[in-house]
Amino acid sequence: MTIFLTAGSIYLVFILNEEGPLRILFNLLTFAGIYGLAAIGLNVHFGLTGLLNFGHASFMGVGAYVTLLLIPHAAGREGEITDTGLTFFPALVIGIIAAALFGLLLGLPAIRLRGDYLAIVTIAAAEIFRLLVRDLESVTGGVYGIINFSESLQIYKPEFLISFSERFELNSSQMWVGLLSWISIFLVLILLRRLTNSPWGRALRAVREDEDAVRALGKNAIWLKLQSFMLGAGIAGLAGVFLAFNYGSLQTTTFVPLLTFYVWAIMILGGVGSLTGPIFGSIIFWVIISETDRLAQLIFENANGQQLAGVRFILVGLLIMLLMIFRPSGLLGKKEELLLDVKSS
Amino acid sequence: MLKVHNLRKRFGGVKAVDIDDISFEQNQLTSIIGPNGAGKTTFFDLISGFTEGDEGKVFLNEKNITNSQPFSIARQGMVRTFQLTKVFDRMTVIENMMFSGSNTKNDSLFRSLMKLSTQKNNENLIREKAFEIMKDLNIDHMADSYARELSGGQKKLLELGRSIINDPKILLLDEPLAGVNPKLAEEILSIIQKLSDQGITIIMVEHNIEAVMKISERVIVLAEGSVIADGNPEKVRKDPKVIEAYLGSGNE
Repeated sequence: MTIFLTAGSIYLVFILNEEGPLRILFNLLTFAGIYGLAAIGLNVHFGLTGLLNFGHASFMGVGAYVTLLLIPHAAGREGEITDTGLTFFPALVIGIIAAALFGLLLGLPAIRLRGDYLAIVTIAAAEIFRLLVRDLESVTGGVYGIINFSESLQIYKPEFLISFSERFELNSSQMWVGLLSWISIFLVLILLRRLTNSPWGRALRAVREDEDAVRALGKNAIWLKLQSFMLGAGIAGLAGVFLAFNYGSLQTTTFVPLLTFYVWAIMILGGVGSLTGPIFGSIIFWVIISETDRLAQLIFENANGQQLAGVRFILVGLLIMLLMIFRPSGLLGKKEELLLDVKSS
Repeated sequence: MLKVHNLRKRFGGVKAVDIDDISFEQNQLTSIIGPNGAGKTTFFDLISGFTEGDEGKVFLNEKNITNSQPFSIARQGMVRTFQLTKVFDRMTVIENMMFSGSNTKNDSLFRSLMKLSTQKNNENLIREKAFEIMKDLNIDHMADSYARELSGGQKKLLELGRSIINDPKILLLDEPLAGVNPKLAEEILSIIQKLSDQGITIIMVEHNIEAVMKISERVIVLAEGSVIADGNPEKVRKDPKVIEAYLGSGNE
């Protein structure tokens, strides 16, 4: 059913767009790849370990900012190019590590909290991060953001992608970012598959089920939770970098709480705790987000843009509600194992 | 083996635990009884590290374990169970057992990532041992069921099995018979007896007086946080203070 739904939603793109459906499709697939990657990271936190993280945007932000600041870029009002001499891939690795370390930093005081308390602290920390980045104009460019960094990644763009893009009148730079994010999803899933089926994954699931029992059996639950927090944060950092490259410029407004909630919606749609679920959740989510405008236009002929924009969230909300009623474990979640429930004690 | 000295804990104005000195002898089966709110579970929480005491000290094998982390106390060989059974609901029975049987080294992120052969061998050993225990407890046919599909009594058995897979020296059982049908209670009692015969020191909180009197070598009675009687079942049963404070209250 999941495959059917996903294929159906992609087909919808072709129906609704007579002109240049491929361009729209690849645009939304790029977003779907990036957000799907972030949702996979969130699933390590919530699906695997039971951590209610509502600060996912900040992990993505740390990854993006650290990476971009290390490669040639222009930040702030003046827009002068700064260059540390680092190329893209080492900078990316440092960015991912920085996101993981930010997870550790946030986790050290906060991870002892349970359930909704952790959610409140993480959402607050994410906002603090965003405001701090906005006000540290000398480093991060503040509200002026960071620009002129795309070249570091685009120099690696393979030849076949350029010719393919030219043939179908696609944006080859975006295609490259999209391709990389889907390759990353593939690699991250291989890594996670290995880990979730291991004794380590088993220990995290035990933490998710009952932390007190874990402690009573001689395991350090705090350390396990920190490891999970760092791993998920690192994956989010990677997604954040691709998000910045997809936009071509980095703005602090990208990392508002709404980003976190999008990622949550994707994870819930796909199936909490399911490894591949977020991929399908993400595609369906982005089809809805990008195509509802056109869909709504067909139904409400006189609606203006603002009213149409509201419709997409009604649809996403409706879909999540229907899902919770008929498939509470998401599209791909295992019914026996992974119902969406949060223990607050 | 386990010694408690001047252990005190208050919750607001209520004296939950106020114990001067108790020591538990090796290989003895001790039961702690007392009316509801007598401080039995709080006493367990204090000695297993789940609650911090206001004052007092706890010694395990002469080592001061006061306010140690629960996991470190468990690693030193004192493992507890819970009044409300805490099994890992959305994991299978065998996973429940194997998680407990596996140690931190075996669980490590690095080893799991590398899929070292030592880990695989360890896992096989743990699985074997888990099945041995599950067979003894008669839950081996449920190995691949999710723990939440078990009956209340089977969950108690699983929790017990999970606690003994690492060969603890002391077992703290918090109401092992609560909510279990009489036939299964009988079974659990004989398992506890067997564990005690194998040399595990058992300290048990239990409301089922019949059962307590039948298998305990020593009974400690708590009331309002303090010890009011301590001795063999016969002696405790006849103690007028106990009859007044506990048995006389008529609701147990």
